[in-house]
Amino acid sequence: MQKISRRILAISLGVAMLLPLSRKAEAHAILLESTPAIDGSVKPGPSAVHLRYNSRIDRARSRLILTRPDKSTELLPITTEGSDDVLTSQIDLAAGHYSIRWQVLAVDGHITRGDIPFTVEAR
Amino acid sequence: MDLNLLVDLFGYLSIIVHGCTIVAQSMTIGGALFLFILALPMASKIGPQVAISTARMAAWAAFALVICEAATVALQASVLMATVDLSLLDALGATSAEAGLAKIGAGLVLSALLFAYGTAAPRVPVLLLALVELVAATMTTHAAARLDDQAVLLAASFLHQLGAAIWIGGIPAFVSALGTVHDRTGWLAVGARFSRMSMVGVACIVVSAAAFTFYYIAAPDALYGTAYGVMAMAKAAMFVMLLALGYGNFRAVERLKAGSDVAVPRMKRFAEIEIGIGFSIFFAAASLTSVPPSVDLVNDRVSWHEVVERNAPVWPRMVSPQHDVLALPALQAKLDAEAAAQHADHADAAFVPGAGFLPVRNAADIAWSEFNHHWAGVFVTLIGLLALINQAGVRWARHWPLVFLGLAVFLFLRSDPEVWPMGDEGFFESLRDIEVLQHRFFVFLTVAFSLFEWRVRVGGWKSSWAPKVFPLLTAVGGAALLTHSHAISNVKDALLIELTHTPLALFAIAAGWARWLEIRSDGKLSRVAGWLWPVFFIVVGLILLDYREA
Repeated sequence: MQKISRRILAISLGVAMLLPLSRKAEAHAILLESTPAIDGSVKPGPSAVHLRYNSRIDRARSRLILTRPDKSTELLPITTEGSDDVLTSQIDLAAGHYSIRWQVLAVDGHITRGDIPFTVEAR
Repeated sequence: MDLNLLVDLFGYLSIIVHGCTIVAQSMTIGGALFLFILALPMASKIGPQVAISTARMAAWAAFALVICEAATVALQASVLMATVDLSLLDALGATSAEAGLAKIGAGLVLSALLFAYGTAAPRVPVLLLALVELVAATMTTHAAARLDDQAVLLAASFLHQLGAAIWIGGIPAFVSALGTVHDRTGWLAVGARFSRMSMVGVACIVVSAAAFTFYYIAAPDALYGTAYGVMAMAKAAMFVMLLALGYGNFRAVERLKAGSDVAVPRMKRFAEIEIGIGFSIFFAAASLTSVPPSVDLVNDRVSWHEVVERNAPVWPRMVSPQHDVLALPALQAKLDAEAAAQHADHADAAFVPGAGFLPVRNAADIAWSEFNHHWAGVFVTLIGLLALINQAGVRWARHWPLVFLGLAVFLFLRSDPEVWPMGDEGFFESLRDIEVLQHRFFVFLTVAFSLFEWRVRVGGWKSSWAPKVFPLLTAVGGAALLTHSHAISNVKDALLIELTHTPLALFAIAAGWARWLEIRSDGKLSRVAGWLWPVFFIVVGLILLDYREA
């Protein structure tokens, strides 16, 4: 009985340790600047996507997903040029409200993500 | 599984696993150093048993490190495979995964050597493997991903972890050694040498922390204006607590040298508390690695004026807003009305738990949350006051643990208004939301430990471990609260809340360990600790009563 109770105590402590931990990890690699800007607007037609972070990013293990006005999604290819803190791609869009969801792996192993809603202006 | 939920869950679990990893890593390296610097060279004075126990402890710690590191690599790889469509090999090619695999390999060999050879484990290979662990661990710190000043920051990260391992990682072996040795010569030998080892560890921590402050925090306003700064200050506060306890042990060694061994039990008790506070620091460190350094957060810093304004005392909110004016019920009512107007089969849900989006909030939600914190403050202050009265000799006040039951019922009903029984969301459906899950389990634990402590107080439970449940859960809860952040999209608001939660956590940790000291020691020390912990509870209650979100 004593042994079982001790085990219960150990399990309770373990679980208590897990309790109020939350979603801070989302804030690790932060987006310092982006084109398109968050809630910004771009001209219709071809344009560059440029995202700069506060830390070195593992580009091969990161991704960009474009959500179109009709909610369909498209994987944006990430180019391999540029400095280690930058993700770049190309888009060619018609007028409407879009969003880019980014997910990056920082070199120190933290996975973070965020959204960049933006508008493509009408001609 | 929903991919967004997977990334959320990864962020959540990775902090916990990282905390456990730091504990295991420090105990492995600290244990190995304790073995080769203290236990083996002094075996003639303290006997062979200390070295045998230390080697076994380090072996188990290395094994635990392998498990923790494997969990980290597996978690990261599975998230990358699921969300970026990578093969297992590609996912394991990430720098951090390679560092993790190196730690697993080194840990396995280290553990095998210590298990197989015990105190005869070869010194050079064991210390080299410990070095591999430290270097690989350094490659998963902030420094590894920095663009500027990387060399100096990598060196500081290495030194910081080494210092933590020598000092905090060595304390479990120290406590075990104090229990194994039974004469004054032995205690003196162990105490004096570990004191010197601790000083080296403290020096490593202080030098590296100064470098972090210079490069990662940089400006005084970042100390209170960013999450990184606040967490670093909390770590510093606990570091000061540890130093005070360490100084107590240093004094005890001096008294031993003078010929008195009355200080030995005190040394043991202080060292036990040092383990608890030291491990709390490790979990705070795990949380710290997941927030960006202050220097990167140029916008959204909280100003001193905002801190003062938010914390200026105001009368607590004792009346709750109505449930139907909260943001989610109001939005759901609007969606329901729209669906009815369009003759749709069913309305969209105002909030889908686990979908990766934060729920909407309005002024009534803030009032709701403040009301919850203020009433929780009333409960906690009452617990502290009753415990004080009980300490003064008033017998009926010994039933104070039952007040926790009131707090548990209150939290169950109020903490998540969108969830059953108050809201539309089903009980099990809501458990997909990590914050709701935490709240629910917290309620369960509050009920459990209040009943434990109540039975202890009324004398129904005589076992030696039952009284330890309350202080341990209080201290562990405080440590976990240190890493808690409210899921609020506004960075500034989230930080202003964290500024209140950090002192709450520190006082809870202090209360838990003061109660521990009351139980585990005797004489004046026990009496002082017995008066202190209810006072810490009252302080927690008063901070809650002054809590505001706007």
